[in-house]
Amino acid sequence: MAHKSDPKRPAEIYEPYEEQAGVPLPVIWIAIALAFWGVLMLYDTGDSVRVSLNDRAEDSEALANVTPDEGASLFEANCATCHQPDGEGLRDAVPPLAGSEVVAAGPGIIARILLRGIDGPLTVADATYDGHMPSFASALSDAEIARLASYVTTRWANGPDGAASSADDVTDLRGEVADLGSFAGGMELARLIPSLPPQPPMPAPSAAPRDDADVLQLVFAGRDEVWSCASCHGDLGQGDETTPRLAGLPAAYITKQLHDFREGTRVNESMHLVASGLTKGEMTALGTYFATLRVPSNAGAVLSGDLARGEELALQGDWSIGVPACFTCHGASGFGVAPGFPGLAAQHAPYTAAQLANWAGGERHNDPLGLMAEISGALSTQDRRAVADYLATRPPVPAVAATMTRMETDDDQ
Amino acid sequence: MTNDPRDRASDTPRDAQSGGGTRKAIYAAGGGLALIALATAAVQLDVVPRWLIGAGSSIEETAAATTPDDQFTPPARDAIPDSPFGDAVRRGEAIFTNTATNAGDHVGNGLSCSNCHLDGGRHPLSAPMWAAWVTYPKYRAKNDQINTMEDRVMGCFTYSMNAQYSPAGGPPPHGDDIYRDLESYFFWLASKAPTNVSLDGIGFGKVPKPEGGYDLARGADVFAANCAVCHGEDGQGQRDINGDYTFPPLWGPDSYNWGAGMSRIDTAAAFIKNNMPLSQPGSLTDQEAWDVAAYLDSHERPRDPRQTGTIEENRLANHDGDEILYGQVVNGVLLGQGTGPSPARAATMATPSAAEPQN
Repeated sequence: MAHKSDPKRPAEIYEPYEEQAGVPLPVIWIAIALAFWGVLMLYDTGDSVRVSLNDRAEDSEALANVTPDEGASLFEANCATCHQPDGEGLRDAVPPLAGSEVVAAGPGIIARILLRGIDGPLTVADATYDGHMPSFASALSDAEIARLASYVTTRWANGPDGAASSADDVTDLRGEVADLGSFAGGMELARLIPSLPPQPPMPAPSAAPRDDADVLQLVFAGRDEVWSCASCHGDLGQGDETTPRLAGLPAAYITKQLHDFREGTRVNESMHLVASGLTKGEMTALGTYFATLRVPSNAGAVLSGDLARGEELALQGDWSIGVPACFTCHGASGFGVAPGFPGLAAQHAPYTAAQLANWAGGERHNDPLGLMAEISGALSTQDRRAVADYLATRPPVPAVAATMTRMETDDDQ
Repeated sequence: MTNDPRDRASDTPRDAQSGGGTRKAIYAAGGGLALIALATAAVQLDVVPRWLIGAGSSIEETAAATTPDDQFTPPARDAIPDSPFGDAVRRGEAIFTNTATNAGDHVGNGLSCSNCHLDGGRHPLSAPMWAAWVTYPKYRAKNDQINTMEDRVMGCFTYSMNAQYSPAGGPPPHGDDIYRDLESYFFWLASKAPTNVSLDGIGFGKVPKPEGGYDLARGADVFAANCAVCHGEDGQGQRDINGDYTFPPLWGPDSYNWGAGMSRIDTAAAFIKNNMPLSQPGSLTDQEAWDVAAYLDSHERPRDPRQTGTIEENRLANHDGDEILYGQVVNGVLLGQGTGPSPARAATMATPSAAEPQN
């Protein structure tokens, strides 16, 4: 107990404390410098914010000035990428509207076609097309379809039959055709339009994998570790938010993504788990299953992106930042070109924007030649939102069994 | 509260600090301002890493790299006037981007003007039309005469668009509205450009021939690695679900014929080097560009419409001295024999009896 008498030891009651030291001068210097800089930055960005607010106000004024139900602008935005601004179509691919016997049949027929789409061979204006037109039922309102049908008939039909179609007519039609699916080519149209020229026969339907019990089991019930596809992607593969729409994507594309999820070359924990439990054959079967689903769109512009800018990027690109048009590679109207280029139409905006961000940041890198990494990196966040929103407003891919079968054979070679 | 440390602290003599408050404030403000001055100078002199100050986004840099200030810029798409002239410009643009439909009587393959003249004839180094417009009329060795723009475009239809297998069997005749509309479009694209000058970005550029020449086997590898994803393993392009060519065919019956400029290896190499893969121009080396250009131009394509006698005679008359494989034997096959029309084109070609010469 020697230390008890140690004089150096402070008294038991002593509490340690710190002298009140002044703040060192350099710290104050830095604080003042930072404060000054902060004020300067606030002033500076305040200016930018004001400018961008003005820009946005101008943009929304410009948008408001375009009457949304104006037939010409509706045509330009929804029909011109395939039928062309002058309605002349594409040789060997998309039928013309000018001189078309179908257009001459009047706005009622046009409205029906807009609502249902076409899937099958069709002969108009002395040429035959293996047409695949999407259904616009989920992309356009009744009023827009009516306006568009009237516009097309008035502009391209010969004769005074270009009578107006009203939104109420379309509402009635919508109920009438709801369960009919797409027009089975010119054969079915000819039943409604007696004046059509002789139509080519529909090809025999290829064996649809939709009836395969094992595939249906995977899609709707799952198996052990493999959750059912439908539990996240929806009963119809329509997806939601950041869960992608699968319906109508190229079969080979879906199969490759499943493979990449399993191998880890595309990173997603849930999908890694699911894909690891699938056999190669099941991946192929699932790809084929979803590729053939013709499903209405449930996507929309939800990111407040600038739709005009999105349309510009999709249709023309922005060569000043080295970005070609999306549709240059993903096909007119973003329907996709198998197997490397998936359909973009009606894909959910949050998913598309997230993927673009992932490519730009390097988290996703399973694309050919790193094409998307460079393109996404050149796009600003606003551009990504804009183009994702625009693509979400497009009518869904007109899924086709015939093309898919052909493509699959190619793959096996 | 006698043991409160603060009480003890207050015992410290304050004399040394008297009047220190003001002095301290002055030192602080002065030092702060000095720091700001130093930091500003550092930023100005570019000694601060750019990530630290968040300046100079990569987008601005890319834009600056691809469009230097002295590069001519054609007017914006939506600036086409609403007038009879503007209508002609629009028709010309429609012909340019959708040639098979809007000038379909004279297109005997699956191509459009805009397949090689990218971005609707606007893109530098993909033979932009604003640069071409201001260099005509001009002498061309290809036909040994002064060419007007109409003559030149007629050549495009004859060779690049392979008009021999079109419904009309040849290019639009002189004076056709197709020329009026296309020339209106080119003239409008060249708005405010100086004339009779070689503008930056003209043509496809030049890529010097590598010292060791080119190699078809290496070219095949370059093709498989960089081109096949879009143009297909077989080079026949890819179509969308409606059958429209999303990616153009590079050889075979639906591609350009043996008389086209692109069938020359040096021309194709320059286009490829400066434009392909789309969105990644300049990513191939000069050697790779030459190898792959030679590879795709070593495949058979529609015949040279100028050929009247043998291939060898036509080679001597029209291809001698060119960087072209026409008339040469590659892999045991003589190139230049021609593919004939694709089935779709054969179906719309005028029958030989009906194919009277154009006026």
